[in-house]
Amino acid sequence: MKPKVAFFDFAGCEGDQLQVANLEEELLTLLGQVEVVSFREVMKEHSDNYDIAFIEGSCTRLQDEDRLKQIRKNAKIVVAIGSCATIGGINSLRNYKELDEVRRTVYGENAKLFDTYAARPIDAVITVDAYVHGCPIDRDEFLQVVKSLLLGKRPDIPTYPVCVECKKNENVCAFERGQYCVGTVTRAGCNSCCVNQGTICWGCRGLVDNPNENSHKEVLIKFGLTVDDAIGKFKLYFGWQEGKR
Amino acid sequence: MGTYALLWQDICGFKSEVRRKMKILSKEDFSEFVNSLVNDESLNVIGVKSKGNKFAFGPLESANELRLDYDVTLLPPKKYFFPQRETLFTYSLANGQSAKNPAETKATVIIGVHPYDIVALFHMDEIFRETKSDPYYFEKRNSTVIIGVNIQKMSKWNFSPFMGCATVDYGYDLMLTDLGNRYAISVGSQKGGELLAKYAKNVTSALTRDITLVGQKKREIVNMSNQKFDFPTDLIPELLKKTYGESGFWEEHSEKCLACGSCVLVCPTCYCFDVKDNPDLSMENVERIRTWDGCLLEDFAKIASGENFRPTRPTRYRHRYFKKGKYLFDRFGFISCVGCGRCSSNCLPNIANPVDLFNDMYHESLNMGLHVAAAATPEVNIQSEGNIDYVPRLATIVRKEQMTANETLFEIKLDDSSELGHKPGQFAEISVFGIGEAPISISSPPTKKGTFEICVRKLGNVTNKLHTLKVGDKVGVRGPFGNGFDTDALKGKDLLFVAGGLGIAPLRSLFNYVLDNRKDYGHVVLLYGCKEPRELLFSEEMQAVSRRPDVDFKSTVNWCPDNEAWGGNIGVITTLIPQVSFDPDKIYAIVCGPPVMYKYVIADLKGRKVPDDHIIVSLERRMKCGVGKCGHCQINEIYVCKDGPVFNYSKIKGIPEAL
Amino acid sequence: MKNDNVDIDVHHVTRVEGHGNIYVNVKKGIVERCEWNVPEAPRFFEAMVVGRQWSELHHITSRICGICSIGHTLASLKATESAMGISISEQDLKLRKLALHGENLQSHVLHLGFLVLPDLLGVGSVIPLASSNPEEVKTVFRLHRTANEMSNLICGRTTHPQRLIPGGFSKIPSIKELKDLRKKMQDAIPDLQAVAKLFKSLASKLPDFTRETEFIALTSPDEYALYDGQLASTDTGKTPVNEYLSFTNEYIVPTSTAKWAKHVRDSYMVGALARLNINYDKLSPLAKQVAEMFGLKPVCHNPFMNNIAQLVEVVHSVEDSIRLINELENAGLQPQPDYNKPDIKVKAGRGVGAVEVPRGILFHDYTYNAKGICTKANCVIPTNQNHANIELDMKALVPKLLDKTQKEIELSLEMLVRAYDPCISCSTHYVKVNFV
Repeated sequence: MKPKVAFFDFAGCEGDQLQVANLEEELLTLLGQVEVVSFREVMKEHSDNYDIAFIEGSCTRLQDEDRLKQIRKNAKIVVAIGSCATIGGINSLRNYKELDEVRRTVYGENAKLFDTYAARPIDAVITVDAYVHGCPIDRDEFLQVVKSLLLGKRPDIPTYPVCVECKKNENVCAFERGQYCVGTVTRAGCNSCCVNQGTICWGCRGLVDNPNENSHKEVLIKFGLTVDDAIGKFKLYFGWQEGKR
Repeated sequence: MGTYALLWQDICGFKSEVRRKMKILSKEDFSEFVNSLVNDESLNVIGVKSKGNKFAFGPLESANELRLDYDVTLLPPKKYFFPQRETLFTYSLANGQSAKNPAETKATVIIGVHPYDIVALFHMDEIFRETKSDPYYFEKRNSTVIIGVNIQKMSKWNFSPFMGCATVDYGYDLMLTDLGNRYAISVGSQKGGELLAKYAKNVTSALTRDITLVGQKKREIVNMSNQKFDFPTDLIPELLKKTYGESGFWEEHSEKCLACGSCVLVCPTCYCFDVKDNPDLSMENVERIRTWDGCLLEDFAKIASGENFRPTRPTRYRHRYFKKGKYLFDRFGFISCVGCGRCSSNCLPNIANPVDLFNDMYHESLNMGLHVAAAATPEVNIQSEGNIDYVPRLATIVRKEQMTANETLFEIKLDDSSELGHKPGQFAEISVFGIGEAPISISSPPTKKGTFEICVRKLGNVTNKLHTLKVGDKVGVRGPFGNGFDTDALKGKDLLFVAGGLGIAPLRSLFNYVLDNRKDYGHVVLLYGCKEPRELLFSEEMQAVSRRPDVDFKSTVNWCPDNEAWGGNIGVITTLIPQVSFDPDKIYAIVCGPPVMYKYVIADLKGRKVPDDHIIVSLERRMKCGVGKCGHCQINEIYVCKDGPVFNYSKIKGIPEAL
Repeated sequence: MKNDNVDIDVHHVTRVEGHGNIYVNVKKGIVERCEWNVPEAPRFFEAMVVGRQWSELHHITSRICGICSIGHTLASLKATESAMGISISEQDLKLRKLALHGENLQSHVLHLGFLVLPDLLGVGSVIPLASSNPEEVKTVFRLHRTANEMSNLICGRTTHPQRLIPGGFSKIPSIKELKDLRKKMQDAIPDLQAVAKLFKSLASKLPDFTRETEFIALTSPDEYALYDGQLASTDTGKTPVNEYLSFTNEYIVPTSTAKWAKHVRDSYMVGALARLNINYDKLSPLAKQVAEMFGLKPVCHNPFMNNIAQLVEVVHSVEDSIRLINELENAGLQPQPDYNKPDIKVKAGRGVGAVEVPRGILFHDYTYNAKGICTKANCVIPTNQNHANIELDMKALVPKLLDKTQKEIELSLEMLVRAYDPCISCSTHYVKVNFV
């Protein structure tokens, strides 16, 4: 009996679901192991009878909470996919701004359009059983998580930082090139893909479980970044994890 | 270091007259030599190339890419012998077939290895040879030619002269020294001489002035280092020993540690690895892979129960220095650091430089008025017999009995009908294909023939999955591993078994062995304690034991909830000890239980005047390879999987991490 | 059979990116309500980038969309580069054009194969087609994979491309890799011909519906404009990109968290059909052949033909990619260091970057202070510009469908929305209400 699987999305760019479509021929192999009963982007049919729910996107409005809770009720396993769902993602950048600053010009009937609050990962609203981090998710990691769930095994997600992967890939460290990277406090699992492509790690997979943030900020400053800029680097993706709610 | 020269002779069979011949090649002819190597499609030619503003070993497409004037490569050449990721074998779940990973046998030539990296390869050779050889490593090592180059530029972090590794007289097939318009080439082995003869043209013999020039350059190299030790480096092992307990020192030095693992991942002598199972999407084929791991990473010493034996930065940070400077020294006779400086250059908060740390340690010892002398050279006795087998044997579950909510007994028969051939106290690595492998102690005695038993608590991925398997399902078995109990030494003695919780599982293998050979042993007492009655294991068997006249059996529970029946003792296991009378000189205590138990039981035993060497413990750690290679189970200089899991307390009582 | 009463409530249209609703109420043959409603959560990107550095903006705005990520990144980079007077090399320009071709290829193939084809074959999704039409599905996957491999090579990855940075690329492919890519493009042509044949056989399923409207796209005298050009309208002619606001005129409607736009009529259309209508003569030879197969030529006012226009563009992108790689090879590929980071002289300024992404023309407009911090940003998304046109098309289409069943009307309206290939979550990137 193949488990039934459903995809949902909230406030996000749908890039993670695109990665599932980007599995190409492997998508067909995947469909040999699971039955997709709901995937709005790709199919018309929908069913509320599913075992595993994959959710992309952040929760940014009170009204989204009900939809999330309903999905949690229907599913045995809930998997958050993509940074927006796992840690709040780039959406959490705006948590640093006063919402009133945006609301200030709202009047009357249009006020309902501004039903919004601090962008948050879905585990702020419902229990999440597994995470596929990244912006966007890595297809191989997604498949690893799916395979683990099919085997009844806890997915093996790294608790160490991106540096491990950069070193294994023999990258020249960003700091040695005069750039500034947050890979030292960011969770690995992406195979240091961005540094491999010649740039830096921006932190999209979220902080490791026990980051030594002070040490990292000191490193950034030691290598020439101002204090504000160092703090600014942590705002891009770590807003919710840093407590900006 | 004399042992290395002998070792090298052993491996390469070089003749001393070959070694003394030095050759000369002009730079153009050298380029031609390299290009003819590159053009030979049967060869995999690797050389030092530039990468960004740094250098790295990589495949050569032409001699132009070679940068022999480099200071240090990002990663050492060990990646060619012990890759970042390697498939050990593949296994098909569908038809139960397993296949070894077809090893790369393409002949490889690596051009441009610095002397310190050559010495590091020797360290790795010793480590991968010890007890049993790692076939994957040696397959690559034996099919590779090393062309070394003497250091022209030294990185500012390099302190190899202090480690005796700035130049080297062995370990290479060819060694180049840049003499301006030409290279001097020392031939270090038969293979090297043959390579030169086959691919190089216009090779001439070195003149006296060439040889002199090479000698001069090598002496200059020794003075190139920017780093400086304030004391002779042979003091390092003893200095470390004296500083182990200085927690303030370690906390201060590791405060900025990011647990990024950079220092160990770029190290030429680090070899810790992790082993994982990776099924494909069809869920029919599984590959077992090993990947680089690092002791600085947070979860390195964490086990399935969630317990982490090195949970803090200071403990992990300290472990790395001890491993390099003390544990490996005690075991192999060398300080396992070649002074390449990669750890220092890659540490962003700059806390990884061994020179800084050891200098601080030395000055601290002076301030404390400690007198540190060089340690005596340890007695090194490295045996090597045969290859490690990483591939499990197939076995079938023939019986399954659930004993408690979380623990199940499995009786297993090897498919080839052979005996496991274990000693009491040994363990096996049990594979649930697709999920992974877990170390589980064998719970039945070797006197039970045909099958063996394991008692499994469901905790992590492997054990949870194992619990869902049924009679008739297949598992993989590797082993037996570990040292086991010394049943001969215990003959004729009085035995006091102290088992806490799941600790009964390994003790049972010895206990039942003793019962099967009852007349060989003296007075036997078994004390067994659990948290509460429903957690008691082997309850029927224990009841039978309690009725035996030739065994004194006592059990206890920490507490008894209202809804459980229990007429026996209530209290922690140490409450049973006063109820037993024994002669401390004759009694041998065998203890196994959760980590927290040992301290209290041992204290009570010693309170009863039991000598240290009459106390035997069985310990648990995270064990992946089972053969003392992957580094996970290491407690100080001891590998639990090889030197244990059974230990005599007198041997480990001085080791802080053990209990 | 004429439907006197029709009530259609399609909540969250399927097989489109993002969330949109269709509401239709017909009573006694009179259309009382016909609404294209967008309830998507606003994303606030234009607020988020204020206060961030010039070097970060492309990374942030790439996250507006997962499918047109490359397009957003390029529009963003163009805006920053324009604001600070940064120019890029000829080689980088060609590589960026290849990047856009890769994106067009990927997005159009996904849209046609996964989102539109099921309607034409009468099924709910591409999943059952894997069993009933395996060869066609494999062809779609092959083309999609080639497109992704192209994006991976040029940009690092399709979604949130890392190699695209201010001033150029952090890493470029080798000439060998480009030659391999060219071979893949050449191998794709028979697959494209097969797809064209398939769609031709199904072309009758596309409604024959026209409603005259304005079309807006980039145009260039040198080529079929995707990366560079001036703004062009089928009604009013050309205008520099800097004056885009005079074209877009975004405004709020109560039924939508996304803004609408209008120019000289009540609505206009952007996208493949708009581009084809304006730049038809610049299409590559094979692309023109495919257009002729369907009788598609300017100016076509049937929104359903946007699908066919996408098919034509796919063929053009493949042919033009081959041309670009030939040019790169002939000029000799200039190497650049690993981990390239162009030196940028930061200064205050305002710049507008306009780029054609699969769904239409995209604008990014940034203002920087002397320290290179963004003080103001405006993004106009193609789908925003289409929302009004979608609703007006619906209003014109529904009366013509009243002799069909409710299910058929629903399907036609969904197909209409799908034909636009909307990217709804992009279009709700920001909401700012000004009290007028």
